[in-house]
Amino acid sequence: MKLRISLTLVAAAAVPFATGCGSASNASTQSAKPAASIDGDQFLLADEPGGAVGVIEARENTSDGDEVVLVGRIGGAADPWIEGRAAFTLLDPSMAVVDESAGMGEGQLCTADCCATERQACTALVKFVDGSGALVRVGARELLGVEQGDMVVVRGTAKRDDSGNFQLLATGLHARN
Amino acid sequence: MLGQRLLPWDYGVRNLFRRPSRSLLTLGGLAVVVLLVLVVVGFIRGLEKSLAASGSPSVVLVYSLASAADIENSSIPASTAALLSASVEGVRRSFGEEHVSPELYLGTRVKAASMAQPGLGLVRGVTTSAPLVRGSVQLIEGSWPATGEVMVGRLAYSKLGAPHADLAVGESVEFDGRSWRISGRFAAAGSAFESEIWAPLPDLQTALRRQDLSLVAVGMQSPDRVADVDLFCRERVDLELKAVAESAYYASLQRHYRPVRMLGWAVVALVAGSGVFAGLNTMYGAVVGRVRELATLQALGFRRRALLLTLVQEATLLACGAGLVACVAGLVLVDGMAVRFTMGAFALRVDSVAIAIGCVVAALLGVVGAIPPAIKAMRLPVVDAIKAV
Repeated sequence: MKLRISLTLVAAAAVPFATGCGSASNASTQSAKPAASIDGDQFLLADEPGGAVGVIEARENTSDGDEVVLVGRIGGAADPWIEGRAAFTLLDPSMAVVDESAGMGEGQLCTADCCATERQACTALVKFVDGSGALVRVGARELLGVEQGDMVVVRGTAKRDDSGNFQLLATGLHARN
Repeated sequence: MLGQRLLPWDYGVRNLFRRPSRSLLTLGGLAVVVLLVLVVVGFIRGLEKSLAASGSPSVVLVYSLASAADIENSSIPASTAALLSASVEGVRRSFGEEHVSPELYLGTRVKAASMAQPGLGLVRGVTTSAPLVRGSVQLIEGSWPATGEVMVGRLAYSKLGAPHADLAVGESVEFDGRSWRISGRFAAAGSAFESEIWAPLPDLQTALRRQDLSLVAVGMQSPDRVADVDLFCRERVDLELKAVAESAYYASLQRHYRPVRMLGWAVVALVAGSGVFAGLNTMYGAVVGRVRELATLQALGFRRRALLLTLVQEATLLACGAGLVACVAGLVLVDGMAVRFTMGAFALRVDSVAIAIGCVVAALLGVVGAIPPAIKAMRLPVVDAIKAV
């Protein structure tokens, strides 16, 4: 019994040392994610819109304000998504993303810095906007149920500037697969 | 089991003082093992703390797309800061000032007064907006640098490999062909900034004959608004900018240093393992020398379990004592010690986690180190053991 009490005392004495005197609190590094309160169905098209063109062709032939139907694959960047915003980069369907170490052939590019210029010519930023023209503040994956690599057809309005930047202000999306 | 006839608690304690030299040597050996464990854990904790404390989730770093995430290689136009201020919504404002910090960041040779050869230092050219964005930075001595002056982080001396006194306020350092007077010292809550030297941005640009920036750090109203800067950079592909949340940037560095941390934990396991073997060796010696005593106790009616318990008690007491000595030594000698590494310098941290690990290792050394020799001694027949010399 005496030994039992003694062992209990030793264990109790050890508790403060196990707890220590430093502070282990770290500031949270998680960003708050807004809940998907907007119905994404309003942007999903049951039927594929006609007259779809690739990103490369659209960059060459469309003007600011033109109605455009783009076809392409979600990607063209290591992370094609904008966190918490209904926007992503769309890659021309004729291009394929390959591993940086594999070596690039015709119609291929990688997501590293070496292909930054090529990516600029064959990718477009697609932003989904609401009725007032404001960007929807919900992540595209949650809103539209799409994933990286999906082949999609997007309808919207072209927006471009004198510096050659090209975007699509999208109002509808049809996923091919 | 404890209901059986046990040896008195005092018996084990007194035994430790019967052979004071052996007990002291064992205590010293175990204390060194636990101290080594504390040093390695302090290294890992310090590195983790340095990188974790450096990143704020509401701050976004904007740098060159072509720099491959190495800010030292980044070069962006000086107009980028004004462009971001004008184009991005959600930038935090305080006292009429926007939290937008244009910065020039480079590694360069820095020479302090008593250094024979210059050391590699990290220099950041900043404006008075920098402390708005880097909220952890606190001026602890002196004043904000004026023209021709710099302020140094409290661990900058370690990064340079210079004596602490060389980077005191009023001293001078030389880099990029100029002499800079130290106007102040700053702390930054253990983050990587503490190993840097901060100079006025226009002065540094003049010294380097550069007009560009390395990065612009932007403080946003909330972590959610970081996406707006990312969106701007993707809209304006002609600028070839990249936006990364500061917390994500340092998290990627943490992943980069993961093998170092894994190696550190492996060293902890190896050091603790070697300590167990050292303890085993000592306890074998201690038990073998007491075979007759233990057999006599058995002849008096004490069960083998009771003898085993008292041997474990002795060893655990000794190991816990060694753990306490090591923890005190760790807090006094190791905690806060500056260590140089590629990203700058950081301080070893003997915090609650390190102390807890040290105490657990000490207790394990006592228990695990005592059981095998005690079991071996118990297996001897009482008659043979009493005759043992």
